[in-house]
Amino acid sequence: MPQKAPVVSACHGNSSLSGSSDQRGPSSPLPPAKQIGASLLPWLRPLVVLGLIAVAQGLAGCSGEVAPRNTHTPISSSGDISTFFYQMLLYLDIAVMAVVAAIWAYALVKFRRREGDDTLPPQNHGNMKLEVIWTAIPTLIVVGITVPMLAGVFQMSKRPDANQRIIEVDVTGKQWWWEFDYKNDTANGLQTATELHVPVNTAIVLNMTSADVIHAWWIPRLAGKRDATPGRNYPVYVTPREVGIFDGQCAELCGASHALMGTKLVVHPLAKDAEVDYQGKKVTLESYETWVQHNQADAAKPASAEIEKGAKLFSERTCPTCHIIKGQFDTAIRAPTSGPNLSHVGSRLAIAANTLVNNPENLAKWIAKPSAIKPGSKMPDLNLTPDEAKAIATYLYSLK
Amino acid sequence: MASVADFAQAQQPVYHMERPAKTGLVDWLTTVDHKKIGILYGTAGLIYLLIGGLEALLFRLQLMKPDQNLFVGDTYNGLVTMHATTMVFLAVMPLIAAFSNYFVPLLIGARDVAFPRLNAFSWYTFLFGSLILNASILFAEFPAAGWTGYAPLTSRGAHPGMAIDFWWAGLTLLAVSSMVAGVNFVVTILNLRAPGMTLMRVPVLAWMMLVIQFLLAFSFPPVAVGLILLAFDRSFGTVFYQVNMGGDPQLWQHLFWLFGHPEVYVLILPSMGIVSEILPVFSRRPLFGQHAVIFSGIFIGFVGFGVWGHHMFTAGMGPIADAVFAATTAVIAIPTGVKIFNWLGTLWGGKLTFPVPMMFAISFIPMFTIGGLSGVMHANAPLDLQQHDSYFVVAHFHYVLVGGALQGLFAGLYFYFPKITGRMMSETLGKVHFWLFLIGSNLTFWPMHDLGNRGMPRRIYTYPADAGWNDDNYIATIGVFFMTAGILALVYNLLTSLKNGKVAGRDPWDANTLEWITESPPRVHNFDFTPVVFSERPLFDHKHTEGLEIPVPSQPEQIHMPSYSWKPLWVSTGALMVVLGLLMFTVVPFIWLLSLAGGVVIIGSVYAWVSEPV
Repeated sequence: MPQKAPVVSACHGNSSLSGSSDQRGPSSPLPPAKQIGASLLPWLRPLVVLGLIAVAQGLAGCSGEVAPRNTHTPISSSGDISTFFYQMLLYLDIAVMAVVAAIWAYALVKFRRREGDDTLPPQNHGNMKLEVIWTAIPTLIVVGITVPMLAGVFQMSKRPDANQRIIEVDVTGKQWWWEFDYKNDTANGLQTATELHVPVNTAIVLNMTSADVIHAWWIPRLAGKRDATPGRNYPVYVTPREVGIFDGQCAELCGASHALMGTKLVVHPLAKDAEVDYQGKKVTLESYETWVQHNQADAAKPASAEIEKGAKLFSERTCPTCHIIKGQFDTAIRAPTSGPNLSHVGSRLAIAANTLVNNPENLAKWIAKPSAIKPGSKMPDLNLTPDEAKAIATYLYSLK
Repeated sequence: MASVADFAQAQQPVYHMERPAKTGLVDWLTTVDHKKIGILYGTAGLIYLLIGGLEALLFRLQLMKPDQNLFVGDTYNGLVTMHATTMVFLAVMPLIAAFSNYFVPLLIGARDVAFPRLNAFSWYTFLFGSLILNASILFAEFPAAGWTGYAPLTSRGAHPGMAIDFWWAGLTLLAVSSMVAGVNFVVTILNLRAPGMTLMRVPVLAWMMLVIQFLLAFSFPPVAVGLILLAFDRSFGTVFYQVNMGGDPQLWQHLFWLFGHPEVYVLILPSMGIVSEILPVFSRRPLFGQHAVIFSGIFIGFVGFGVWGHHMFTAGMGPIADAVFAATTAVIAIPTGVKIFNWLGTLWGGKLTFPVPMMFAISFIPMFTIGGLSGVMHANAPLDLQQHDSYFVVAHFHYVLVGGALQGLFAGLYFYFPKITGRMMSETLGKVHFWLFLIGSNLTFWPMHDLGNRGMPRRIYTYPADAGWNDDNYIATIGVFFMTAGILALVYNLLTSLKNGKVAGRDPWDANTLEWITESPPRVHNFDFTPVVFSERPLFDHKHTEGLEIPVPSQPEQIHMPSYSWKPLWVSTGALMVVLGLLMFTVVPFIWLLSLAGGVVIIGSVYAWVSEPV
């Protein structure tokens, strides 16, 4: 027992959970800790210590690392519902476990057969009253947790009122990246890859679908995940309330590079620029409307001979077959197999579905041999020389 | 006072056998003895347990640190897929089949199962299915679509290689094997009980086996249909799961989980039965609330067919379906709680001793409770949207399947090894195994709760160093080393005890039920005489209750025993030929002739089967 307190108090995790592992306190049915310690079977003691350490470690998130994708620090009311039920059931579970563990441990200590005792204990076959009690109490608990849960199910699937600003985006999973098509509002017609940009405190409708196999779009801090199933169009309703950049990734096994199918949610401020923390660095986020205007514009024209050379290579190496660069290469036909729209790829935070930080070196590395970064990548290896890859990367990085 | 020695006085029965039994290898190939088939299942299950564990060890090494490159992409996905498929279908299921085969007839006082040749057919079909599942490694490829095989990731377009073909073919044979076994054991338990063994006197282990055999018989058909549709999609170009041609990939999910959830109860209920047999023996008390334990098992079996949608809360079934499945799932907590409290009630007021089987049975209770309680979280649809396909779910089902199902099977292994081999296993090595395994499984699976809370999805082969998942993953991999060491202790224990273990005798644990009145190992006819049963603990009452002794007849019984047969192996071989032809349909010309020949073999050998005198 003494191990418990320091482990929990040393914890940097979710503070609201730290107190919860204190269930075996004075009110618990266990006798005082010292007596238990003294009378425990020798082989039981390490188990109890191990259990307490594990409880503190696992539930309180006590490894000391920061958790940038913590599912229980949500930024939307939809995420709040999940977290509410997590907290509720966590306390309930710990209470039930404490009762079971207390009876269990007490029985193991108290009712062990003494040396030389060869008599039979009383042979009673059960107790109807007890059976009724331990059927009825769980039934009441189950009813008690099910009723609010049903309310939560319907609340989460409620379409936002039509009398407010609603931003609708089609979310398409593709092996192995995410494509976002903005369907209304000022951003109508925009296409982005990997990064979904939305304004804060605004109702968002995401229509989930897929171009190939089943994926699931999951930004842990935003809300729960939803499958993106080919042939289906399942809406998700969220209203993010915090400005910032939030990482996530595909949560449904979708093939070789499933692990590298990352995505980002960028929640912009409505009016003024805002500075946010992202991966330990300060990043300035422009207002949503500025972002929309910037992205609705045509791609930047090559401003130097070096960039011009990259644009020429981009064209010669058949890149425009799959990639649109607005105002320069508009020939690509939208198809399940087409690649990301690269009109403003230079302004992205990450490339290759959130696998690499966006900079000219990483872009060149990615273009030179995609399959070396993402196994099975649908972008072909074009056998570019390092110079060619560098030139194309320079061009793409200039597309701010 | 009556004792178990009374049964040694009984005379050997007089046999009627159509053909004398074979010896050596031919005996093992043609046997219809449920005990030998049980040993075959158990050996296969233990071997596959090692293989599945090795696969887990390999991919845990890859996840030990961020950004590693030991196993990437579909190699990693293949390891994960084969780990799960192997553990579920080729390790835990055959271990359950081993206990079912070996002990159901002994528990109910029967001489064999109702259809001994059908039993042999189940075994060979299982064996061929398991070999086919693993055969894709010969082509340097693992099926890599997850054990759930979600369409259209299993389509020819997404996975053009042969691995998925081996996967569906293997699983189809396993499905046939399980369905046949289900029917066989339902008939056995309902019809072959000893005189006086009313349904409420059937031991809880046999009861749980009865429940799961119904589950097998009724839950495998949906997935078999799903697999055959997949086979048609891959081999003949049909479009059941192809959305651009009007199919629907979600059809697979419904067919799979309509099987998949009852399957979860197939995996856990036998271990609950084993624990329900072991706790009373080492508490020296009857099982507390035996009827409640039995009825809660039946209830779980029924409701288990109405909860499959809780695997699909993120799939977009709509709020009505989500609500219904969430509510039915929450209901499962009630009978499960009843069982747990009845086990605690069995311990309470007993006189407990702690040999290795009891240690496993006792640790089963809190380990399974942890898994059950996190299951209550998943039943909550809004919360499950966060936990689904995250490591939290991985933690949940490993607590249920490792802390629960597997520990229960280990308990059963240590408990019943003396009956199967006539020798005791080493207690010291057993305790080493127990502690290493218990510590290891908690080190591995407990931090996974935290990983899930921290947003780590399952089945990813790598993760970035800045996501906050490093420490938990490191600890989880350390835990696997402990579990591996524990399993090695088990293997060493099994191999050495087989030869050098202490001789067990009929009733080494001072147990309660009929299997312990026979010799260890039991002779081919199981019981020298047909036991008459007066209570739910016939052997206990024989030893301790005046007037309830099992009468030992003075005359030898005249009995008929089934003869060996080649026919089950022939029919299984025909089935193997059919699926081999189908799975190679697109790559080998005229291979469909093999399927055709397989059909002929099946029909011919079924004809020979029914006309063979037994």
